[in-house]
Amino acid sequence: MVQGWIQIAGTLLIVLLMTPLLGGYIARVFLGEPTRFDRLFCPLERILYQLSGIRAHATMSGWHYIQAVLISNLVMAVLVFITLMLQGVLPLNPTGLGAPTWDTALHTAISFVTNTNQQHYSGETTFSYFSQVVALGFLFFTSAATGIAVAIAFIRGLTGRPLGNFYVDLTLAITRILLPISLVGAVILVAAGTPETLAAPVVVPTLENPNVQQAIALGPVAHFEIIKDLGENGGGFFGINSAHPFENPNGLTNLIQILAMIAIPTSLIYTYGIFANNRKQAWLVYGMVFGIYLVFIAIAAIAEYQGNPAINTLLGSPQPNLEGKEVRFGWAQSVLYAVTTTGTMCGAVNSMHDSFMPLSGAVQLANLFLQIVWGGQGTGTAYLFAYLILAVFVTGLMVGRTPEFLGRKIEKREVVLTSLLILLVHPIFILIPGAITLAFPEQLAGISNPGFHGLSQVIYEYASAAANNGSGFEGLADSQPAPTGLWWNLSTSVSLLAGRYIPIIALVLLADGMSRKPVVPMTTGTLRTDTGLFTGVTAGVILIMGALTFFPVLALGAIAEYFQIAGGI
Amino acid sequence: MKNIQLREPSLLRRQEMRCDRQKNPRFLFLFLCLNLMVAPAVHAANGSDFSRLQSYALGILILVTVALSIYLFVVMFQPERF
Amino acid sequence: MNIQTKRRSDRKHTPKVQMAGLYTRAVRDAFSKLDPRIAVRNPVMFLVWVGTVVTALVTLDPNLFGPVNEQPNQQRLLNGLITVILFFTVWFANFAEAVAEGRGKAQADSLRATRSDTMARKVLPDGSTQSVPSTALRRGEQVQVRVGEIIPADGEVVSGIASVDESAITGESAPVLKQPGTDIASSVTGGTRVISDELLIRITADPGQGFIDRMIALVEGAERRKTPNEIALTVLLTVLTQVFLIVVATLPPLSQYVNSPTTIAILISLLVALIPTTIGGLLSAIGIAGMDRVAQFNVIATSGRAVEACGDVNTLVLDKTGTITLGNRLADELLPVHGHSLDDLATVALASSIFDETPEGRSIAQLAEKLGAKIDFDPDTAEGIEFSARTRMSGINLPDGIEIRKGAVEAIKGFVRSRGGIATPELDAAYERVSKLGGTPLAVCQGNEVFGVIYLKDIVKPGIKERFDQLRRMGVHTIMLTGDNRITASVIAQEAGVDDFIAEATPEDKIDVIRQEQAQGKLVAMTGDGTNDAPALAQANVGLAMNSGTQAAKEAANMVDLDSDPTKLIDLVTIGKQLLITRGALTTFSLANDIAKYFAIIPTIFSAAGIGSLNIMGLKSPQSAILSALIYNALIIPALIPLALQGVAFRPLTADQLLRRNILIYGLGGVIAPFLAIKLIDLIIPFA
Repeated sequence: MVQGWIQIAGTLLIVLLMTPLLGGYIARVFLGEPTRFDRLFCPLERILYQLSGIRAHATMSGWHYIQAVLISNLVMAVLVFITLMLQGVLPLNPTGLGAPTWDTALHTAISFVTNTNQQHYSGETTFSYFSQVVALGFLFFTSAATGIAVAIAFIRGLTGRPLGNFYVDLTLAITRILLPISLVGAVILVAAGTPETLAAPVVVPTLENPNVQQAIALGPVAHFEIIKDLGENGGGFFGINSAHPFENPNGLTNLIQILAMIAIPTSLIYTYGIFANNRKQAWLVYGMVFGIYLVFIAIAAIAEYQGNPAINTLLGSPQPNLEGKEVRFGWAQSVLYAVTTTGTMCGAVNSMHDSFMPLSGAVQLANLFLQIVWGGQGTGTAYLFAYLILAVFVTGLMVGRTPEFLGRKIEKREVVLTSLLILLVHPIFILIPGAITLAFPEQLAGISNPGFHGLSQVIYEYASAAANNGSGFEGLADSQPAPTGLWWNLSTSVSLLAGRYIPIIALVLLADGMSRKPVVPMTTGTLRTDTGLFTGVTAGVILIMGALTFFPVLALGAIAEYFQIAGGI
Repeated sequence: MKNIQLREPSLLRRQEMRCDRQKNPRFLFLFLCLNLMVAPAVHAANGSDFSRLQSYALGILILVTVALSIYLFVVMFQPERF
Repeated sequence: MNIQTKRRSDRKHTPKVQMAGLYTRAVRDAFSKLDPRIAVRNPVMFLVWVGTVVTALVTLDPNLFGPVNEQPNQQRLLNGLITVILFFTVWFANFAEAVAEGRGKAQADSLRATRSDTMARKVLPDGSTQSVPSTALRRGEQVQVRVGEIIPADGEVVSGIASVDESAITGESAPVLKQPGTDIASSVTGGTRVISDELLIRITADPGQGFIDRMIALVEGAERRKTPNEIALTVLLTVLTQVFLIVVATLPPLSQYVNSPTTIAILISLLVALIPTTIGGLLSAIGIAGMDRVAQFNVIATSGRAVEACGDVNTLVLDKTGTITLGNRLADELLPVHGHSLDDLATVALASSIFDETPEGRSIAQLAEKLGAKIDFDPDTAEGIEFSARTRMSGINLPDGIEIRKGAVEAIKGFVRSRGGIATPELDAAYERVSKLGGTPLAVCQGNEVFGVIYLKDIVKPGIKERFDQLRRMGVHTIMLTGDNRITASVIAQEAGVDDFIAEATPEDKIDVIRQEQAQGKLVAMTGDGTNDAPALAQANVGLAMNSGTQAAKEAANMVDLDSDPTKLIDLVTIGKQLLITRGALTTFSLANDIAKYFAIIPTIFSAAGIGSLNIMGLKSPQSAILSALIYNALIIPALIPLALQGVAFRPLTADQLLRRNILIYGLGGVIAPFLAIKLIDLIIPFA
């Protein structure tokens, strides 16, 4: 027990120490200050910009920025879709895999370009090394960098700067942040035992019966792994993701993965503090999210540590719930990994989320619903400040002025964009497809575990898609060739796209509008947003507006299941 | 001068009303046509314990809900109109 | 401040509002607002309206939307009760709005009474008069009004001097002197009564466009548009309504799937409980009441936007005289210079003030006469020189050509110099002495010879310093404008506690100050009455014109103070803030209520799913829980009507203090209150 808590506390301490370092570095990169990698990348970038005709110093207006995001993402998605469909004739295909079904390829392309990496397939049996490394690995970087670029544009707009140039920010995010860290991380992972090879799977006789042959899948895993976590992508090289001993061999790799997942979302809050020249506010907001994060970890950890009462009565003594968990990680590291991966929208898993206790499942769902317990790459930080704007609007009137955030008035346009962004997208793209699916459970869902848990499985799948998380509760027949695969591929694709691009459009427009507003000077009559009180108020707004929406779903799913198990089946 | 000013809006309003009068039945008709598609789906989802009337009534209710949702979107984006 | 409030409470506001019929009319109006074409304007309440119709249908036939397991009669009873409660929820919201509107309408009625059609004596081009109804008068025509008659329309005095009783619009019983030429005293308002002499008036407003007509339209709410903040809030409330509509509409398949089905009526109840009906029902009432509070203050706002802007004001630009100091400065002392005797100075000062009808001028004459001065010429033969803002001096030209002037020291110095005289340090010393006392020094000269300085004493209004302290705490910056010199201005500024001052200000300075402040992103409020204030009034975000002011000033301003009391600007800031705070407080309260409503309804209606333990309030039964939550939801609207109409009590605190206070009351209170209230209702109602 104590050991588990120490593991959790130690990891969190490292996160705390890392934040100002990385956050400060990200700020330097995007404020245009010199960094160590300039000498290496600057000439390369210049050639790149010249070749593609990008005017690096021209800042973009809101709609231009959105256009750039959408067009670049569309081009990438189409390229990846074509690559996946043609993988049978492309090189690096040692296992001779053919093309996947069109809907699987479509869902995969959308899922990876939206930084979600929801996988309705098993990597080792569906996609060739070429597809994985060139097509998906490429999107690992670009989709993560898109998120960072949008976050930076958002922060710039909020703090009254021009939005910047999407292509330049995208390049900087890759060359200055993602690539260097991935390089170091991949080397460490290789050292810790993760394979990095283009060789075909090794075929060996099994230990139990030497006559039976077993193929052990290999591949260029290490470099894939680090950017999978660092970029909040989460799409595993192998079907069982980071529970696989080649993706995540031991405690060290597990620690690196957790740190990689949480590094950028936490640091971006600090980056905001530097941009706004208000580190106090950054730390306060950080503290609020950290608080929620701790509560979530505690709920899940206690639930897992106490284990399943039904099983405990059989065993005669209380045991942690280890169903679906790797023993090499135990309950503590599995819980920390699960809460972090759902919170940061990474979606990598080192244990079966389906097998967690109901309350842990509720925490995971809450993470997906809220999207701010660190939140996705870049977008999470932006969501956080959108919540702040909403809190300013609701409570700011109570100081007797029309609400202002950072000296800029919150008016109709801001309210439309923020509320659309953080209040409406989720209910529409989680609850509506969820309800349709559950109205026809036989025809559409293919639920392995009917009842309260099945409801959670369906809602989790859509929440994971809409929040661009990508992890699965699993237990659904969502992969081809299951008859329900087509429905799942297409319906989640809609949630994926809506959950990614509607918020990005709203965020950029919001930032663009804010950057153009005249600044009202601060007086004692102005609502200060960098106080403990206001941060507390924001937490209340997040709870009431963000979480209560999903209370009925949680009540009918995870909470009902909790009472069911607690009351003995 | 004054008389003309007075007459103009009322003329306009009358025209609007005429449009409304034509629009309403058309909406209603469209509504019922849509329900021809929704009701069977409702019937399918709920199985045989629903009578035909109940399926149609529920179908209309679902369409009313959708219409309300559209109305709320209009209010969201053009609150000045209300 | 004491003086102000005392005077205000003494005075009976003349456009008396008939409160007796107010509520009966509101009850009636609340029903007529059930018309769907009107109901559709309020998105939150419209949903409740539609919900009421649907629950009424399932009251008639509980099985309409699907078979229900329970006893149809029991079902029918529950659905019927839900229908009634939902109906009253809508009705209460309509009632709140009707009451708020009713006040304005009653006020408009009493104003309309003053506008009864009178006969006017129109002056024809040939000079003869013709009797025409007042509604037939057009802009530019001239009318004659005699003693005891009512002025038929807004206009300007062409000739004649008369006192006019303006109490019909201002409530001030003392008559006002009207005469041609002077900026302020020449404009007359239709509906007021001439009580002495007669006037020839040129009409300046066509029928239906006069001041009173506009006032009626404003207080009646005919021109009511949603304010920007109200629109933004409507959007948020609509989004929340949309969210909960989706949440509730997607529930049936989910609950069906886990074998815990529920009925349509219960789902509608859940929806109504969750959408922000409290603020949705009261939002427009709050806005109307805010305008109304301003009107009760005897200020007419041209739009709700202006009232809202009052709360946002960062800077108040205030004239010293009349706002910060009492209107009249009195001559206190005469300081002779250059070897002239006190008697000489008194004689010249008296001569200079003989034509000066201002209170200052009269007080100088009084002081001089007290000192024994007499004039030695016939005033009828002398020529009076009027004060102008440009020359900043006034005086007299004697029949023998001697020019006597009094005015600002700098102006007199210039005058003397232009006549070949000199200004000595002795004059400056006297000037400084007066300035340091906070008085206004006026130099007096005859020809090129400066005789001395008059010490005009300024009296800062009692209580004004405390008001400025409050404003400072609220983050409002005050700038005093005065024609006085720097030293005087700084003494007064310090005494009154204003943050900043501009001395020796010309009317152009006013607009410059406003532009400078606005360039920094600040919202500026100011008062004014003269025609040369009009550009500044138009430039300011909140321009408060005095009713005694010129038509031009009133047109340019977005508020008109019927009492012509410039200090009211400070109160208007408070009213604006109060309006916004009330809106925010009720929004927060309404949203915070959702927690309790969730915990009342969800566990009980899905008790089949085994989540009964979440029923932390221990409500008796699902039916009782739903009815309790709905009854609470309906009753909280009328319970909050007084708060919505009167506004949340405002205290001049800093933003942080205000937030803490209001979050505790309306945020935390909004979380806790419904838990207690719903439990209480559950205990009372006999529905098991």
